[in-house]
Amino acid sequence: MALYRKKAEKLQDSINESILKRMPDSEAFSFAGFDEQEVERSGYSNYSYWRSTLHMFLKNKVAVFLTLIVFLILLFTFIQPYLPNQIDPFLVNNDPKTGLPFRNVKPNDVFWLGTNSIGQDLWANLWSGTRTSLFIGISVACIEAFVGIVVGVLWGYVRKLDFLLTELYNVMDNIPTTIVLILVSYILKPGIYTIILALCLQGWIGMALFIRNQIIIIRDREYNLASRCLGTRTYKIIQKNLIPYLISVIMLRMALTIPAAIGSEVFITYIGLGLPATIPSLGNLINVGRQLMMSPDLRYQLIYPTIILSIVTVSFYVIGNAFSDAADPKNHI
Amino acid sequence: MLKYISKRLLRSFLTLFIIMSITFILMRQMPIEGYFQNYDKLSEAQIQNGIRMLGLDKPMPVQLFNFYKNLLKGDLGMSLRYRNNVPVTEILAPKIPVSVRLGVMAILLALILGLPLGTLMARYKGKLPDHLGTAFIVFIQAVPAAVYYLFLQLYGTELLGLGLLFDPDKWTAWILPVFSMSLGNIAYYAMWLRRFMVDQSTKDYVQLAKIKGVSGSKLMFRHIFRNAFVPMVQYLPATFLNTVIGSIYIESLYSIPGMGGLLVDVIKKQDNTMVQGIVLLFATVGVIGLVLGDLLMVVLDPRISFGAKRGNR
Amino acid sequence: MTKKLLALFLCILMLVSLAAGCAKPSSEVPEKTKAPESPEAPEVPEEPEEMVYTTLYASEVSTLNYLTTGTQWDQYVGANVIDTLVEYDNFGQLKPGLAESWEVSDDQLTWTFHLREGVKWYDYQGNEVAEVTADDFVAAAKYVMTPEYESSTFYQMEIIKNATEYYDPESPVKDFSEVGVKAIDKYTLQYTLVAPTPYFLSCLTYVCFMPAYGPQLEELGADFATDNEKMYYCGAYILSTFEPQVEHIYTKNENNWDADNVFITKIHRRYNAESATLAPVMVLRGEIDYADIDTSIVDDWLNNHPELLSKDRAIPDYSYFYCFNFNPTYDEEWDPENWKIAVNNENFRKSIMSGFDRLYAMRAIDPNDPESVLQNTIAPKGFASVNGVDFSSLEPFKGVEENYFNEAKALEYKAKAIEELTAAGATFPVKMVLTYRSDDDDWENEYIYLKQQLEALLGTDYIECILNPGTTDNFLTNTRRAGKYSFMRCNWGADFQDPSTWTDPFAPKFDSEAGKYTGNSYNFMDINLNEDNQNETTAVLKEYYALVDAAKAETADMAARYNAFAKAERFLIDHAVVVPYFIYPASYVATKLNAFEGQFASFGVSILRYKGQKVYDHYITPEEYEANYEQWLANIGG
Repeated sequence: MALYRKKAEKLQDSINESILKRMPDSEAFSFAGFDEQEVERSGYSNYSYWRSTLHMFLKNKVAVFLTLIVFLILLFTFIQPYLPNQIDPFLVNNDPKTGLPFRNVKPNDVFWLGTNSIGQDLWANLWSGTRTSLFIGISVACIEAFVGIVVGVLWGYVRKLDFLLTELYNVMDNIPTTIVLILVSYILKPGIYTIILALCLQGWIGMALFIRNQIIIIRDREYNLASRCLGTRTYKIIQKNLIPYLISVIMLRMALTIPAAIGSEVFITYIGLGLPATIPSLGNLINVGRQLMMSPDLRYQLIYPTIILSIVTVSFYVIGNAFSDAADPKNHI
Repeated sequence: MLKYISKRLLRSFLTLFIIMSITFILMRQMPIEGYFQNYDKLSEAQIQNGIRMLGLDKPMPVQLFNFYKNLLKGDLGMSLRYRNNVPVTEILAPKIPVSVRLGVMAILLALILGLPLGTLMARYKGKLPDHLGTAFIVFIQAVPAAVYYLFLQLYGTELLGLGLLFDPDKWTAWILPVFSMSLGNIAYYAMWLRRFMVDQSTKDYVQLAKIKGVSGSKLMFRHIFRNAFVPMVQYLPATFLNTVIGSIYIESLYSIPGMGGLLVDVIKKQDNTMVQGIVLLFATVGVIGLVLGDLLMVVLDPRISFGAKRGNR
Repeated sequence: MTKKLLALFLCILMLVSLAAGCAKPSSEVPEKTKAPESPEAPEVPEEPEEMVYTTLYASEVSTLNYLTTGTQWDQYVGANVIDTLVEYDNFGQLKPGLAESWEVSDDQLTWTFHLREGVKWYDYQGNEVAEVTADDFVAAAKYVMTPEYESSTFYQMEIIKNATEYYDPESPVKDFSEVGVKAIDKYTLQYTLVAPTPYFLSCLTYVCFMPAYGPQLEELGADFATDNEKMYYCGAYILSTFEPQVEHIYTKNENNWDADNVFITKIHRRYNAESATLAPVMVLRGEIDYADIDTSIVDDWLNNHPELLSKDRAIPDYSYFYCFNFNPTYDEEWDPENWKIAVNNENFRKSIMSGFDRLYAMRAIDPNDPESVLQNTIAPKGFASVNGVDFSSLEPFKGVEENYFNEAKALEYKAKAIEELTAAGATFPVKMVLTYRSDDDDWENEYIYLKQQLEALLGTDYIECILNPGTTDNFLTNTRRAGKYSFMRCNWGADFQDPSTWTDPFAPKFDSEAGKYTGNSYNFMDINLNEDNQNETTAVLKEYYALVDAAKAETADMAARYNAFAKAERFLIDHAVVVPYFIYPASYVATKLNAFEGQFASFGVSILRYKGQKVYDHYITPEEYEANYEQWLANIGG
């Protein structure tokens, strides 16, 4: 608070200085042309948006802890195959005595999370699946955010585009995702990139609409009117006035898109258009496990993928909220 | 205002027209093998005849024209694969009320429970109610619906002494499906309302009101809630549609004869007329929902304008 | 101000419409739910021994029209509500059905059937409509042979004189009286065939030979059987309620000619898309009488509820075999040209055939007892027999098992194949694409087993198996028929009781316009007969087709005919063109039915009938199942 006040006083001083001291009286009341340098000078402060955001975020201990967890999970999915005593997720483990597969073996010291119905190691499958699902989630979130923000900002700010984009949204939002999914799976082979493409194909427009609505709400706020009156360029208004205001909401949405994309993968698997089981994913593991829910002896096959999925989801939810709180400039004071 | 509404509605028709045309064309990109039950056992003559019967031999613009011509007469055509030769409207008619009832009840329940929860969480931000609410939201978000729906069904029916499947004769049979379906929306409403209310509470007008001495609850409901609710309102009509389409899990689990899984079903079966019928229905609801959402937003927040009358650069 | 008023108005409007939307349907509840039940209530007489059978189904029938549908799932309806001229008993013996007696002319071409008198058509409420006469068979046959109705089972009627001609719009035969289906009088029906067909009676148990009430067919045309109200019934059951994706209720037809042998009085099938998960739970709670126990949960059931677990009958109606594809069309990344060189080498094929541990792979489908369904011939055991000897045990098949799994032999063949293939310019490892239906978990697991076992034995420097998930919808069209595989589990179902049916999938397909072989839709081996595509497989194929032609020509002496077909099939197996595999194992079930009381046959729709089955007061135990099975085997042998 004190810091802020100091900053404000400094700014006031500099303005006073420039207007009052350096100008003769006769010029003080004449129209001044637009001067880029002057604008930069008046806009200067040593306040750094991102530093403050990070500072606020680090204050939230739970969020920091969960960020660490997500990071560790992500890291572990990559290093897990290189650890000692790991079993290839695709390998069918045979009982050396009978030569037949170790089917539905409960967790023990060889198979840490047990085996599935054909004798594959669930521990290895779990991490391989987590890697796939996180990759899908993060890719979708990034692509959606990038396309969504660009389109959304233009949509909200440039009125000429409003009609066109609203129309595009109405059309895209109302073409059933299933038709798109099925057509995509006809054209392309079922696989990770097909799923990412299918999820992004319609997802970005949701993000764009969200941004557009936020922008419409704040577009005509007084400080933006003021900026416009001062002749600030559109891209600059977007970059300096709007985006920081939106960061909090964008981050929250992105953080939620990751688990949502993983969830969609579960849904797509459910309707039979998901990844082939040869590519382990949380969706595949949960879908297989779901059918075993009523069999107490086999339930362990559902529990572990669900736990990982829950941890990932919860983490992103909390991180997203914490970051969005931290990113709100109002909270920086 | 009225002029604006009528203009919006007119534009909605255009949207519908584009959606229907795109869907129509997309569906006809599917392989022709999909139209026959056992393609390899049919002779070439039978296949050609089948294609002629389906009207697929004509050029695309002619097919599209015929579709709209029939549509104007109120004729959605006959189902091709889902239920051979039964009018699409006859198939949809009994399913729509079921889905609507399920969707409306689930949304009402979600609003009744979700909005107070969100308000409570925002009001006691950082305190116990907020933590409890967050735990609930986190749980619903974290556990896949496919898993907790099944869990609720298996143990809920045991607890309530009900049959596993839906029984239209018993009102108690509605409890679990409606409750399960509303859980996601409760979490969704509570989460966003809390978010927006927290955002609002740092606003200058709230500071001013506090300084003026507006009491806590009055401030919460008269000022913050109203402003926070605005961005949510726009999605209300759309969530209804999503709830209906998203009821696929619930309807399959409980054997509820609604529309949830129907679209997936008919697309996979390549039943063009059925797909067209359902897409038309959903798109109409969706487009109207969008207009309604925008209108509600304009109405509730005087600062927002959609027409180009004011604030134009 | 106006805005505020409008806001208020809109809010109220929304609330009212929501409330209306909610209130209106709920007021409909009592009427709606009562409606479907009222017609059946008064109809079922209050008998003390009401026997109700409740079950779930996960996929809706696409049509009730038994004259047009080609899928077994749809044919369940026709099988139970319409009777056939002849039918099978539960031991697979033919017996009279709607026909009381029949005779065949000396030239084996004209079959005359004398219909049972007094059999009636009933509507869905059980009201008598008319008598079943010979004209109804003729009308139904005409319907199947009318191209506009797109019957998928028409091909089964091509054995009838002038059927193909009548069907072809360009042929001069336009008058149905020229077709070999005639009503001599009210109760006499006559079929005239194209060629002597010793197995004709078995064809009659298929849906396309079922009757349909003529005047109704005439009136409804394409609308026939679009609903349970739009068809009449003459079978053991009446489909009294048909609510798609809700329920089917079959009520026993008390006036059926054979009603004494129909024990279940009401069959209630409820729709549930998740029945694979829920049905076992409902069995545990005693809510339904039958549930399939999926392979994935069998272990749990064997441990926790063994007393509820029995099996279905294994039915030799479909035989499964692995095909080598001689004309792969998949992407370049998997090098189809290299596969083409390899597959035309007999030693390469034999190295795969004898290196493939079939029993190990089958554990993906039946983990506990794969031996019982293993087949060493394409025509499965129990399909047909001559002079008391099963077709699969005939003289030509002696020693056929030596072709199969043998590690030492496989390595020998591998050594030879490497030598020959290197000379022929093939590269190693040979990429072998295994295609499957992506939603069939068991099938996928089978390939995972196969891949690991084969690669471990033959070495990844020799062969590389690639699992290729195919589409779920229109799977066969997109994969097998399109040639998008190199080695694949295929299946074929018998169309009639004659070994010639098992040569059909491999029959050459000649395109007379192009003047070349285009490849059968199974393994495309006949493309090797083309002038520009001669190789070492060509001679093998020429000999095989000669053997088949010789067998088909033998129509007088059944034993000679069967032996000739066996010889041809053995030839194909010995040259490792096809690898016989299994008949689909009987699935694990929890059921109150004794599976062995139902009609039994290796083709036709008899096996889909509930007639003759009883609902017991408990789920069949494994011991009871074994006893029932033993008893059935004893009866079938004697």
